[in-house]
Amino acid sequence: MIPVFEIFLNFLKIGLFAFGGAYAVIPLIEEQMVTNTKWMTFAEFSDLIAIDELTPGPIIVNSSTFIGMKLGGVPGAIAATLACMLPGMIIALTLIRLYSKYKEIPVILEAIRVLRCMSVALIFSVLIKMFMAAVFPDGFALKDVSYLSLAMVILSFFVLKKYKVNPLLVMLVCGCINLIASFII
Amino acid sequence: MFKKAWLLFINTFSISMTANSGYAMLGVIKNRFVDKYGWFTKEEMEDFIALAQSCPGPIACSSATIIGYESCGIVGALAAVFGVILPPFLMMILVTFFYTFISTNATVRIFITGMQAGVCAMLLDVVLGLFSGVQKMNKPFYYVMIILSFLYVRLTPYSIFFLAMICIAIAVVKTLLFTKKVEESL
Repeated sequence: MIPVFEIFLNFLKIGLFAFGGAYAVIPLIEEQMVTNTKWMTFAEFSDLIAIDELTPGPIIVNSSTFIGMKLGGVPGAIAATLACMLPGMIIALTLIRLYSKYKEIPVILEAIRVLRCMSVALIFSVLIKMFMAAVFPDGFALKDVSYLSLAMVILSFFVLKKYKVNPLLVMLVCGCINLIASFII
Repeated sequence: MFKKAWLLFINTFSISMTANSGYAMLGVIKNRFVDKYGWFTKEEMEDFIALAQSCPGPIACSSATIIGYESCGIVGALAAVFGVILPPFLMMILVTFFYTFISTNATVRIFITGMQAGVCAMLLDVVLGLFSGVQKMNKPFYYVMIILSFLYVRLTPYSIFFLAMICIAIAVVKTLLFTKKVEESL
């Protein structure tokens, strides 16, 4: 069991820097939980992202509750969830007070824009890692490439982009295809 | 005041239970508090949402904080936020129980592995969506920031948190220099 206070602090950090939409939190969780603290493996982290998509609610809340629960039971889940939203709440309250006075704050707007650029790069970086893990399940070697996964990634992307299908449905179909394939092969 | 806080809680709770994404939630929130209750005007609500987007964390929480605070102070903010996070929180506790029991099952593993392919496709879609937002700003500076951030995270062992600080510092310097130029030109 990891001390509740430590869980709280780690998620406070994640909550503070999760700028740029729901997915911005994914690279932060990967770095903090997998690389820094080693509280999770990359495989567990990949599972978590899939579970986040399966369940309703903001990704950051889902992930914090899930990780907190795994690390420290219900108290851990409460600590992680509260910590991940506390910075956002405090900043929102500060901004709304400033806002009624100044309306627009150029420094903050610019900071948000730059942080959004950072988010694009970070999510792309995690995407590469997840793609590698999915397509080369046994390490990077051309003979080990999982053609089925590769085909599913490309097809899913095409379907998502072209027909705007619910991502949840796409993922469930991918899971089923993999199951069926494992029975055939 | 407590009646208003209770109303906030009930509404955000029910919205959070039914809406799947943060952006879907914003639509319903707008609908309830502007059209149904008439607590805010449409313009006020648009300002709130713009502000909420400037906060870290889920937009659902920051917009709930702002709407709650503007309706009845801190109590309202807390009521609204707890309404938003309670449904996913309770749900995830159940999911974690299930996960610990079934995640080692071979069939479940194959299913989850298959899902990862879908996750990759979805993340790619998300990245492209965010990137088109950057494209709309149409300034080379932002492309440079994307490339530099990417190189930083791939090539250096340093923390993302440090990168975020650098980004904020760059933004501050850039705004200061820019506003100075405007003053000079006046």
